[in-house]
Amino acid sequence: MINYLNRKIINLLIIIIFGFQCYIYYSNQKPLTENFSKKKITVENFSSIVLSNSGITKIGSEKLNKVDDNNIYLEGQSYLENKEYKIYGKNISINLLKEVSNSNDPVEVINKMGLLKAQGFKNLDYDSKIFFEGEVEFVINK
Amino acid sequence: MIVKYFLKVRWSLLLINKLIYFIIYLFFFSNLNAESYVRAGESLIWDSENKNYTANGDVEFKNDRFIAFADKMIANYVVEENEEVFTIIELFDNVVIEFKDELFKGNYAIYTRNDNIIKLTGEVSIESPTRILTGNELIADIDNNKRILNSANNESTVEVLLENNAND
Repeated sequence: MINYLNRKIINLLIIIIFGFQCYIYYSNQKPLTENFSKKKITVENFSSIVLSNSGITKIGSEKLNKVDDNNIYLEGQSYLENKEYKIYGKNISINLLKEVSNSNDPVEVINKMGLLKAQGFKNLDYDSKIFFEGEVEFVINK
Repeated sequence: MIVKYFLKVRWSLLLINKLIYFIIYLFFFSNLNAESYVRAGESLIWDSENKNYTANGDVEFKNDRFIAFADKMIANYVVEENEEVFTIIELFDNVVIEFKDELFKGNYAIYTRNDNIIKLTGEVSIESPTRILTGNELIADIDNNKRILNSANNESTVEVLLENNAND
């Protein structure tokens, strides 16, 4: 009788533990992926390279915030640099999928022509066009 | 001994004085050879594929030859020895070009760097200290100091050669 009861209890315990493991496995699967994709990543004093239409672009900032898989936000003093130009500005948003970067803060650009200062910019990298907004001064090299 | 010391100090002061003059001269000289620039009141678009810059709103362009003002400017460039150089500059609406003591006005202007010629069209005028001439087309040959002013009626074409020391 006691043996029978012991066996029953052991079986019950095995079933409960198995069920508990199944629950843990299930609960670890779904929420983990959701949390990962929604998670914001922030890196300080960041620099990296991005491959785009205009070739390799080096980016850097005081603080990089990953908004989602396609969007990053360069917070504080930031720069974009490639073979065509060097853009030095503040608070630059970059859409990696659309290859667009922009900022509403004052910006300085150095290129083969000279030094350009503007109140903001929108860089359509896929179209090889940069729009400088507000008052613009472009001092040309001698 | 005192005389020798006095002369030494005097010589040093003279040297410092000359050095200061030289620095001041360099400062003014660099300002005289003022920089070339483009200023725009509203926006500037850099199209690196088509190799041009488009400036909008109270545009001011200065190079070593003239200063130009207009509502809009499109400047084409080429890359020479790893540097971008303007080749053709187009100015649109309310165009005013200051060249030495002359003032060219028109609705549209195009400047080509290769031959240093400015061509203005629309209601054009050329103002100098001594005269004002108006027409529909003005061709200013900067290198040869020659101006050709055409009116709407081709028969009344006026050609004006401006001498550097012209007083009339």
